[in-house]
Amino acid sequence: MKQVSTTASRLPLIGIPRGMPYHRFGDLWKAFFKALDIQYVESEPTTLRTLEEGTAVALDETCLAMKLYLGHVMNLAGKCEFILVPGIKSFGRNREYCPHFEGLYDLVRNSCRDSRQKLITYQVDEPNGMSEADAFLELGKALGFGGREVKKAYQTAKREEQQRWQKRVLLENAKVRESGLKVFLAGHSYVLEDPYVGKPIRNFLEANGVTVLSGPVTDREQAMKNSGVLSPGCKWEINRELLGNLALKKKNIDGLILISTFPCGSDSMVNELLTRQIDSMPVLNLVLDSQSGMAGIETRLESFVDIIRFKRGLM
Amino acid sequence: MEKAFLGIDIGSISTKGVILDENNGILASEYIWTEGDPIQAVKKLLGLLEAGFDKSRYTIVGTGTTGSARKLIGTMVGATVVKNEITAHAVGTTTFYPDVRTILEIGGQDSKIILVENGVANDYAMNTLCAAGTGAFLSSQAKRLGIEVEEIGDYALSAKHPVSIAARCTVFAESDLVHKIQTGHAKEDIIAGVCNAVVANYLNNVGKGKRIASPVVFQGGVSKNKGVVAAFEKALHCPVTVDANGHLMGAIGVAILARGSKERREFDFSVENTDFHVRDASCGRCSNNCEIICVYRGDELIDSWGNRCERGSIRTKA
Repeated sequence: MKQVSTTASRLPLIGIPRGMPYHRFGDLWKAFFKALDIQYVESEPTTLRTLEEGTAVALDETCLAMKLYLGHVMNLAGKCEFILVPGIKSFGRNREYCPHFEGLYDLVRNSCRDSRQKLITYQVDEPNGMSEADAFLELGKALGFGGREVKKAYQTAKREEQQRWQKRVLLENAKVRESGLKVFLAGHSYVLEDPYVGKPIRNFLEANGVTVLSGPVTDREQAMKNSGVLSPGCKWEINRELLGNLALKKKNIDGLILISTFPCGSDSMVNELLTRQIDSMPVLNLVLDSQSGMAGIETRLESFVDIIRFKRGLM
Repeated sequence: MEKAFLGIDIGSISTKGVILDENNGILASEYIWTEGDPIQAVKKLLGLLEAGFDKSRYTIVGTGTTGSARKLIGTMVGATVVKNEITAHAVGTTTFYPDVRTILEIGGQDSKIILVENGVANDYAMNTLCAAGTGAFLSSQAKRLGIEVEEIGDYALSAKHPVSIAARCTVFAESDLVHKIQTGHAKEDIIAGVCNAVVANYLNNVGKGKRIASPVVFQGGVSKNKGVVAAFEKALHCPVTVDANGHLMGAIGVAILARGSKERREFDFSVENTDFHVRDASCGRCSNNCEIICVYRGDELIDSWGNRCERGSIRTKA
């Protein structure tokens, strides 16, 4: 576990679960805490145990990603004073989040009640007057800082987050120009980037000589502008970015792989929109749950790569 | 000596093997049940193939394995090619039916559709990791109705008023079926309903959004079921071809791939008398606790897999 060293001892140690919102907002949180000199500790990378611990406390109908998130919370329970569990509802029109993001704090509080772990939160709901900046202001105040100090820390953190993101997008967009087979992976970053769930899929493709374009890594503003062609009404921000990014890159790819965790509500609707954007290109739809064997997935990935090779006359 | 190529397709339900000459002529072929033990099934298969094959005239110089146990059996027989069943079926079918446009395939666990344009596989889909609407469903329903899987076809064709059965999910379909049994519908009508449900499930899942063009070739174990073939013809409004060797197409395809590959290794039938076994090991080096499969020839570890990372790799002595 990584720990940020600091001299301030009056401040609590904050736990950061490496699940769901972490893969989108984690850089911002860490930069924010660093700017305020607050120590934080991250949960261990996902393993089978994360899933088991999460499944033990989760409602059985909930999605795989939520079970993993709860597993990460349980991994931190007792190891820090507060665990940061945000609630993210909306950044504005067509920039909404799934109910699990919105109700994350309540879900965790109820599911992990027996651990007696204290949580800390911030709640973003822009259409109802709570912007991210305002929410962070409240978070900072709750931790005992003055308004001015918090605002400055948020601005610094936001800048750092954006710089990191731009660098990643530059690297990602350069892949479009690579020769050889290119496959677009559409899915939530918390699925694709998870070391237990999405990484093995990515590794398998790369080991088979395929360049993997990561759906969520894109210039978000540009992707949002391109997202409305097929569905002006799609309200989920993450899914809209995928729609827009695919619209931008579809001419440069050989195949599309949709990866979602069972039972994801927004994906079940948007995957259909994604497939309608492209014609005459192989599409593979993978729905992941807690299967521990890779054989079924490998068969599907291997045959998918073969079909692309057939199409390109490489086999 | 003339060259020959062996292809083995080890599915969850059945194990298929063919030996091809250099002109795709079938020198020997066998089809047996896997019965939950792929290693034993392949030993038995090889014994049967050996008996019907002229060893004084042909040497097997390339061996391919496909199907869900392709890796395990590939290790066991020393395969020169190990390929997934989609590719094997596409290669096999387009060799015998160069003008085919659509390949429907329903096996024991998987179902897939392959679209072909100008003899080249162009698009495909496979069921998600759920086994609804596959051979496994048909055999469990046959058991429930007290008949053999092989009898389903004749029952279905004699039905006058097929009942409608929920097709979305095997679990729903099964409870719908139980209700239909209990309300007194004729057995053949229910069986025909099950066949229609398999087709409806297939077309609404794997076949969704795919342009199914004629000629259509249907294969996989379920293609031997006349009831499902008839249901497909009715739903697609076109003839559906079932090759007499359709059940062997995966094995044929992988034998052709073995011929096309540069690798050559003489196949030795003595593997059928060699002791192979598999042991499960738990890695335990991190909390993933990967289940590692170790394959032994006698006491010698010849291969292992199942580890998610390098820490779990087990080195073989070779």
